[in-house]
Amino acid sequence: MNSHRKGTPSARFTTYIDFEEINDGLTTVGETVPLRPIDVPEETNVDEEKIEPHLLPGEIMIARANNVLKFAPLKANRTGISGTLFVTNFKVSFVTSLPVETKERDMHSRSLQNRFLGVHDVCLSEVDMVNQFSEDSAKKKRLLYNTQMPPRLSGLQLVLKSLRVINFSFKFTPTGEDIRVAQALLHHAFPTSIDHLFLSCGYAPSSPGIPDFCRPADWEHELQRTRCPNWRVSKHNEFFNLCASLPTVLVVPRDLLDAQLEQAAQHFQGTRPPVWCWGTPAGAALVRMAQISPSITDKQQENRMMGLVHRCHPMRLQPKIFDLDQILPSLKEIQISYIKLRELHTPDDPTQFWEQDRHYFSRLESSRWLSHVSKCLEVAQNAATAILHQNSSVILQDASGCDLSAVISSLVQLLLDPHVRTIRGFHCLIQKEWVALGHPFTKRLGHTRNQVEEQSPVWLLFLDCVYQVSLQHHTALEFTSEYLVALWHAAHCSLHSSFMFNSVSAKYSASDVLQRENPQQPIYLRPVWSWWAENKSIIENEQNGSDEEPLDCKTSAREAFLNVHYIQKLFKSLAISGAVRRISDPLSSAYHTWQHIDCLMGETRQLPYDPATPIVPLQLDGSLRLDTSLSNLRPWLNCFCAWLSEPAMLTLNDSESLLKDSSPASHHWSHIHEMYNTMKDLLSQNLTNGAAQ
Amino acid sequence: MAARGQRSAKRRSGCFLVMFSGVKPDKRSKVKGITQLGSRSSSSSSHSSNSNTTRSNSSSGSGGSSSSSSNNKGGGCKSHSGSSSGSSSGSGSPPAGTPPHTQMASHESLNSESKSSSLNSKLGHESGGSPSPPKSACSSTSTTSTDHHHTNHQVSHVLTATSKMTVRDGSRTLRPDEPPLVPGEQLEGTAREVTYLCPYVGPKKGTLSVTNYRLIFRSPETDPPFELEVPLGVVSRIEKVGGANTSRGENSYGIEIFCKDIRNLRFAHKQNDSQYSMHLKRDMHISVFRRYRVRHNFAGYGASQTSEENHSRRMVTEKLLQYAFPASHKLPFFAFGYNEQYQERGWSVYEPIAELKRQGLPTESWRITRINEQYELCETYPAVWAVPAAASDNDLRNVAAFRSRGRIPVLSWIHPESQATITRCAQPLVGVSGKRSRDDEAYIQHIMDANAQSHKIFIMDARPSVNAVANKAKGGGYESEDAYQNAEVQFLDIHNIHVMRESLRKLQEVCYPHIDNSHWLSNLEATHWLDHIRCVLSGALRIADKVESHKTSVVVHCSDGWDRTAQLTALSMLMLDGYYRTIPGFAVLLEKEWLSFGHKFAQRVGHGDDRHQDADRSPVFLQFVDCVWQILKQFPHAFQFTEDMLITILDHLYSCLFGTFLYNSERERIEKEVKTKTVSLWSLILSNKADFENPLYSANTKHHVLFPRTSMRHLCLWDKYYCRWNPSMRQQEPVHIRYKELLHVKEQLEKHVDELRKELAARQTHDSPRVASAIV
Repeated sequence: MNSHRKGTPSARFTTYIDFEEINDGLTTVGETVPLRPIDVPEETNVDEEKIEPHLLPGEIMIARANNVLKFAPLKANRTGISGTLFVTNFKVSFVTSLPVETKERDMHSRSLQNRFLGVHDVCLSEVDMVNQFSEDSAKKKRLLYNTQMPPRLSGLQLVLKSLRVINFSFKFTPTGEDIRVAQALLHHAFPTSIDHLFLSCGYAPSSPGIPDFCRPADWEHELQRTRCPNWRVSKHNEFFNLCASLPTVLVVPRDLLDAQLEQAAQHFQGTRPPVWCWGTPAGAALVRMAQISPSITDKQQENRMMGLVHRCHPMRLQPKIFDLDQILPSLKEIQISYIKLRELHTPDDPTQFWEQDRHYFSRLESSRWLSHVSKCLEVAQNAATAILHQNSSVILQDASGCDLSAVISSLVQLLLDPHVRTIRGFHCLIQKEWVALGHPFTKRLGHTRNQVEEQSPVWLLFLDCVYQVSLQHHTALEFTSEYLVALWHAAHCSLHSSFMFNSVSAKYSASDVLQRENPQQPIYLRPVWSWWAENKSIIENEQNGSDEEPLDCKTSAREAFLNVHYIQKLFKSLAISGAVRRISDPLSSAYHTWQHIDCLMGETRQLPYDPATPIVPLQLDGSLRLDTSLSNLRPWLNCFCAWLSEPAMLTLNDSESLLKDSSPASHHWSHIHEMYNTMKDLLSQNLTNGAAQ
Repeated sequence: MAARGQRSAKRRSGCFLVMFSGVKPDKRSKVKGITQLGSRSSSSSSHSSNSNTTRSNSSSGSGGSSSSSSNNKGGGCKSHSGSSSGSSSGSGSPPAGTPPHTQMASHESLNSESKSSSLNSKLGHESGGSPSPPKSACSSTSTTSTDHHHTNHQVSHVLTATSKMTVRDGSRTLRPDEPPLVPGEQLEGTAREVTYLCPYVGPKKGTLSVTNYRLIFRSPETDPPFELEVPLGVVSRIEKVGGANTSRGENSYGIEIFCKDIRNLRFAHKQNDSQYSMHLKRDMHISVFRRYRVRHNFAGYGASQTSEENHSRRMVTEKLLQYAFPASHKLPFFAFGYNEQYQERGWSVYEPIAELKRQGLPTESWRITRINEQYELCETYPAVWAVPAAASDNDLRNVAAFRSRGRIPVLSWIHPESQATITRCAQPLVGVSGKRSRDDEAYIQHIMDANAQSHKIFIMDARPSVNAVANKAKGGGYESEDAYQNAEVQFLDIHNIHVMRESLRKLQEVCYPHIDNSHWLSNLEATHWLDHIRCVLSGALRIADKVESHKTSVVVHCSDGWDRTAQLTALSMLMLDGYYRTIPGFAVLLEKEWLSFGHKFAQRVGHGDDRHQDADRSPVFLQFVDCVWQILKQFPHAFQFTEDMLITILDHLYSCLFGTFLYNSERERIEKEVKTKTVSLWSLILSNKADFENPLYSANTKHHVLFPRTSMRHLCLWDKYYCRWNPSMRQQEPVHIRYKELLHVKEQLEKHVDELRKELAARQTHDSPRVASAIV
């Protein structure tokens, strides 16, 4: 495979020269920016044979093209770096020894898959669209998996689901390699079935200790924690015989017999009976319910289930029913909004960027995305108010019981339950509401080619809602919006099994298929949460192409993901008088606060912090109030424009004297570190003293 | 120290526009120099003018009104109503604030004051239920009357100084009818039973007072009392609403005050019947207001009006017009009467020569000239210029003849290393015939030659090229590249003052009083305000880039070189030179690029002028400050000041409390002796530096250049300024507040840790057996 020897010394190649100058969009001012080469590194004798992507166990290389140019985003295809492009059954890998753009490096260090993917690598399941472009005409043509290939490709544009655009040019590529690469890409990026995706790699995931809500104990724990009375755990779905989209364990009213449950389930869409997902000690329960099957006209079972929810309430209060199909945008509307959003954030060239930018606000508004976010927040706010102030149970009903009800249910818990605002609690929430209760990720995020009309980024909608919460309550969440961005990106990477499947049962069957295909190899399906527990990158350092980046991305990403203001709040509770004194007393709250801080800040400890045993009961003290009016929402720029840097207006971007954007939290971090060290010093001193005794 | 910190925090919270009752005068009492004298005069003046208002009974006005009395229930109010009714039998003497009265009143006032204040404090305690009961205020006021005046006065001083006018439709606890006045301020008129039609919390009934500096509205209806204070300088026009032909509902007569700071105030004179007031008192809920208002539109109104009430209202309106537009009434600006003492003398913050020396002048190629000492060569330019050394005084005169209004290219900034410069000027007088001036061409060449690094010079014309061409018809135009060798002309596409004025007007419509949520973003875009901001910012960025990255000198001009040019040079200097991002540096920047180079503040703002439709008004300076805010937002560590300082500057741009922004040019300010007769805004800012300091500022950014992002998506509306009156607009807690809290937490924690360490060490030396338990 690695015996290709082509004429051009690709690694040292920097090009832009042969491309005609394109107007850079500053037509208003009429200035043409002179070309500037990106820095050409010192002559390094890179051995061509060494150029090879790093393969994960089980990963197979499929096609390769030499002397491919990768263009920096929005540089009007003038400045690019040269390298070799590989397509494997898992990723598109671009290998070069040239330095990486800072933006790309930053984004890479802040991704949840940076352990397995190099900075130029793209997981195949991330690819949304493949376009063909040529440099002499502005036209681009979309390539589908069944498109007839032209004899020669001059360039390939990948549009990723993370709203990123990458352009490759085959201008200097030997004939034939371009087509082979494109074909491999189209074939493997859009599989017919989920188990054709590359789902496993031979490293056992470290245990993140997040319950997967597939075991009875997890749900019992949740019932105990919330102390919500009159509900029980049913194991009646053990073989997914009751409902394929629910986990084997579900929580149902105490008075409901399993036989009745089975009978009721038949009446609902997808034979999905209503399930409890959260509740309060006062007895208000949060229940998710699908609509009655369209074929059934009899509403008796639906009423019966509502009656049961009613009876579960210790004070027999009437539950509030939110018919989400009526009050929230449909899945189709969400998808239409998303497509507009995608158009707005994936411009081809600077001209288009500036043209769109002029009307950014009105285009954003006409996408209606923010108005969807506003609606979701409003409904969640109302539901939370009903639970908190009227102590009434809330039934969230939507067609399938696993889309918008997941959004609202999760948001309600985020608003009411302080545990959910921690990293660990948030993981549990997502695992419970989205993964275990069966949000159909495969369909909604389009992981396979068959389900185009069922796509709808409900997941992104939810993350955006959480982002708005984090904006309005700076100190409430333990994680930052950067982490939410990383979660959105992680949802497209097949390395993380969490967001790949339609349901738990689909995951099991995919795992079975994989195991049957590779009987000798153990199959590890990696939950996305394992990122926090993994310390070592399996990508070699040299692959990143630069020496100045030691792999401390773990710590830098940790700082990017942890909300410094939340930690500040923890320290604040330690700074009250007397707290420090009690810090070694396991019965004091100061002790737990310190454990929490130590977990977040310490080098050795693994996140997320687990207050663990004994169960910390739910306390409904700090509920969050939201302002849901549109003028108070902000576009989520660091998600939508994550990869989109402003096209250079300037001719020189890397001046020494230029002040680089420093994170506004950096000042905070330095003080937090100092406080942490002070406390650590004190504690170690205490311990030595204790030992001396 | 702690007290000071708290005080400053409070003061800052004042800047945040919402002033709830938590004002603690006792904390402020230790600020310098206001003595009992000042406080006495303040209390007395209120009394004297009370008698004034009642005495000047002549004829009743058209504005509706009604019987007085009834609504006063607080102790403070009672004492006052008593005093006013006592002196109500006066004759129709002219309503001037006469010194003899004030002297007289001051003696008797002390006793009644102390009584009323203690009564008031009791009231405050009883009625409770407010979000934050003003306990400390009450306890301090009830001690001694003098102390009370003193502290109250301090409140006024501090708040006026920083943010008095930023009081949003919130409320504060100060005694009704007792406005604390700033030094030099006099109460001119008071009208009772006026309703303020707040667009957010509904109508409020109370007392409207007018001083020679501001209007004060107080409503005792709520607890704490509702208060609104607006310096009259912000008033752009006053209109009477209603009349004989309009429907006779309640609140149908009154005045509407249009302000320059994006809000309108509506006061209604018409008194409603007693039934309504009862409901008013009983239920403050806004929906109730609406319901009753509708009903009363049909109910008609009773005609029992005392001419006395009417009269005082008419007089208040008159006084309002008089003091809101002093220039139109041949009155001096209030700044000439304001005599607050500050620790720092703000007028000395900018010394032209010192600033040029800071930039390294004179150099081989640049000299300092006093050719304009008498403002003869160019009357809108400052006295001191820096010009190319190669150009003789005679050359300067010849160039001045070829530049609009004699505004020749003069140095604004020089790069400390490359010697690339930013120079500013007005358009060349090219005209339709395409005139040339050898001297001007040579002069531009001198500027280019003064920078050895580059063989090119950029001429940045701020205008859209169409406008530049159109100006030829009026005798202006732009440099032709044929005539000016090695020069490249670029147009920055920034529109003129009229476009900007219209844009701000639209923006106000969108922001005030209510926001249409469903079309918020598209409405915002339709105002083009942010679009213009983007143009100005990217123009400045382009200049900074040419100077920094290309080491090329840039000449900037627009038509006259005092609007867009000032924006561009000041912003690019802010990006290039960290000095201007400090508090004194920013003052220097404004003094130099805006004030001394003749941005026509008086015309653009319309200080004290009632011609609200004057086409010369335009929010050019506001736009510049907005741009500064956008940069500040992108580089939170690079500025020594916070946005509070920017808001304070904008507030005093209109307030006429300080002399800083008065008049159009340095020459006019010298003529009017502004420096000796008024206080500088920088006195206030430099004396209270701690309140404006950005804790996130890191001084090592001083040597960096800022290149902000200028795409639309990275700009946002400065809601803390434009939407500050709207309580539905969520105000984000600024990050620097949290940073201050962090520092405090750290300090506390370290204190506790130290204590524990010491304790530990002490016990260890005593070898006490309890060591372990003490630690654990």
